[in-house]
Amino acid sequence: MAVGLGTTSAAVRIEGLWKRFGEQVAVAGVDLEIPAGRFVGLVGPNGAGKTTTLSMVTGLLRPDAGRVEIAGHDVWADPAAAKAVIGVLPEGLRLFERLSGRELLAYTGRLRGLPGPEVDQRATQLLDVLDLAGAQHKLVVDYSTGMRKKIGLAAALLHNPEVLFLDEPFEGVDPVSAQTIRRVLERYTASGATVVFSSHVMELVESLCSWVAVLAGGRIRAHGPVAEVRGEAPSLQDAFLELVGARGLSEGQTLDWLGGAR
Amino acid sequence: MSAAPSVPSAGPLSLAPVFARLKLTLLRNGLRQSSKRKAVYIVSLVLVALFGALQLLGLCALRGTAHAAAFTVPLAVLLALGWAVAPLFHPGGDETLNPARLAMLPLRPAPLAVALLISSLIGMGPAFTVLILLGSVIATAYGAGAAAVAVLAVPLALLVCVALARAVATANIRLLSSRKGRDLALLSGVVIGVGLQVVNFAVQKLSQSGLAKLEPVADVARWIPPGSALDAVRAAGDGEYGLASAEIALTAGVLAALLFWWQRTLTKVMVSPDSSTLAAAEPTRDRERPSGTGLSRLLPAGRVGTAAERSLRYARRDPKTRMSWGSALAIGAVVPLFNVLQGGHSLYFAFVAAAMVTGQMFNQLGQDGSAFWMVLQTIGSRREALAELRGRALALTLVTGPYLTLAVALLGLLTGAWGEFAEVLGLMLALLGGLLGTGAVASVLLPYSVPQDHAFKNVAPSQTGIAWLGLLWALAGAAVCAPLIGLTVWLHLAGASSLSWILLPLGPAYGALAARIGLHAAAHRMVPRLPEILAAASKA
Repeated sequence: MAVGLGTTSAAVRIEGLWKRFGEQVAVAGVDLEIPAGRFVGLVGPNGAGKTTTLSMVTGLLRPDAGRVEIAGHDVWADPAAAKAVIGVLPEGLRLFERLSGRELLAYTGRLRGLPGPEVDQRATQLLDVLDLAGAQHKLVVDYSTGMRKKIGLAAALLHNPEVLFLDEPFEGVDPVSAQTIRRVLERYTASGATVVFSSHVMELVESLCSWVAVLAGGRIRAHGPVAEVRGEAPSLQDAFLELVGARGLSEGQTLDWLGGAR
Repeated sequence: MSAAPSVPSAGPLSLAPVFARLKLTLLRNGLRQSSKRKAVYIVSLVLVALFGALQLLGLCALRGTAHAAAFTVPLAVLLALGWAVAPLFHPGGDETLNPARLAMLPLRPAPLAVALLISSLIGMGPAFTVLILLGSVIATAYGAGAAAVAVLAVPLALLVCVALARAVATANIRLLSSRKGRDLALLSGVVIGVGLQVVNFAVQKLSQSGLAKLEPVADVARWIPPGSALDAVRAAGDGEYGLASAEIALTAGVLAALLFWWQRTLTKVMVSPDSSTLAAAEPTRDRERPSGTGLSRLLPAGRVGTAAERSLRYARRDPKTRMSWGSALAIGAVVPLFNVLQGGHSLYFAFVAAAMVTGQMFNQLGQDGSAFWMVLQTIGSRREALAELRGRALALTLVTGPYLTLAVALLGLLTGAWGEFAEVLGLMLALLGGLLGTGAVASVLLPYSVPQDHAFKNVAPSQTGIAWLGLLWALAGAAVCAPLIGLTVWLHLAGASSLSWILLPLGPAYGALAARIGLHAAAHRMVPRLPEILAAASKA
């Protein structure tokens, strides 16, 4: 399944991707080849263009320029084929929240054209594995952040996609839910599928991913296997801070009262 | 809640300016966000000032009429009632109202309550209330004694109103900040609409029979603060000083009780779980049921049925959709019915119902909001787009078809104009089809976001123009049916009215064809426009 069409082993190929919002350039020419069968982290500070890039890659936002190919299908020229092989969990976009968790899965699966009984069976298993069985008849609008991410993940996995895109899947999620999500994703990549997720938590990316791309100011600053991107730096966090050119807190006159005599 | 020893204990007098400044800063920053908001604020300020001034003048004009107090006393009670329910309609509106934001600060509840009370006297609402109260005492105060009582009564009545609003809001903060509370607030539009009708009706009755009619109401209202404060002004003028002081004391007592209750709930709310925690802890009603409910078994399998089922579920569960469905169905039924009750004899008024309910078709995709991405992700070809639009049109037809047929039949029953039945029903079903078709095209070409958190806003601020264009499209839907309308007119003019039954089979067939063409055209345009539709739908 990991092998896409053609001879390529890239799951996702991005060429010259640009997006402007008025004066502001959100994504300034991203070129990236993401290898298949890997757990891939897209990291960058807030406002680096992660969400914009992922939206354009998954067909949710039209790019100003550039090409995106997923498993050999051009996302913008042949959307039907591309959408069939990807699963998406966007950040900040709503779900159909007045459906219950189970209804949401039934709805999504049927929209994907899966046969009804198959959808129901897969939904039951996903709800079980993701610890949502107890809340399956609750409306999604009443779900907590962790539950929301989990039901979104279930909806994204339902049609067994080749490539899964997750925008900040661990943001605001409790450790227990995070562990559940992690287990499911690890099992999924073990089968040869590709997971691309964005995050700004370096420890998480370092422990989870085998391949990373660092995005800052709308451009790719570095990419490759984690060890390669980390280089000589003691941790990915340090390498990242150096790459994006972050400055430490300057020592000296400021905040000298903090921790002083009370 | 005890203050740390190193923190100077803040009295109400040092706290009040802080909260007053906080409120002004929040207001200023809110206005600074956009010039549109500033314009809306200034316009409403002018309107409230004008309306308040008119009320003041009107009340002053009551001076000298015999039963002025019979009007002002119930008015004050009505005002207080308005204050009590206002926060329910505007949850989370006033940030300083939310005690959760203050829970971390070392403040004692009693000074906090007083400071909050004083800061909540700032705003348009209190200013408007002062105008009405001033008018009321001007209309009813005769003599120096009454004037002296009035000086006490106006601030007391105002404080009762404001304290009531704050106490009710704090006591219901759990409801207000929960999803159910927000859903409830969305229904406020209906409540206010009905309320205006009632007030209108009451004013008409009053202008017919005079203020004396209100005396029995005033007899009760004078024992309900702040009505009692205003009756004290009248009583003092009539020389009933004992009654006046009792009424003032009653108002002051109620104010004290309200403050005490408010302060108690404030303390309690600050240390109890918020609504999201409670919602998460709420046991799920485990209604185990197969995903194929009775409804879905009737719908066709595949995408059409799936989309239709979701639309029908949303009509029931989504407060915004439910409200627009509810008001469309209600107005569509009420207008023709009123026409009949007023002696109308034509079935053609049923077209109001058709126009109202088919309006639902005109922003199908924008209604989804940013959740539209889930639909977008599953549409790759025209076939899927067509199935999606068909499903939504089917859901609409399932409700409107029987509803319109019933409406025409009911009108026929009431007016006895059965001669028109066949042509009206035929034309109406043709119109339904035409509007479904043009509605689908408008949904694809002119989508706009529907703000979810506001009862009265049905269009995102930047998209009003698009919404108006969408409405114009409805005219195109009527124009589509022009040939059939022409045929009807010709049949009547040519004296062949007996042949008008032909419209009953012709109308639905024509409508089905118009809907089909519209849906296909919309589906064709929908696929390349998907990201743009998502962007337009995610504006709010």
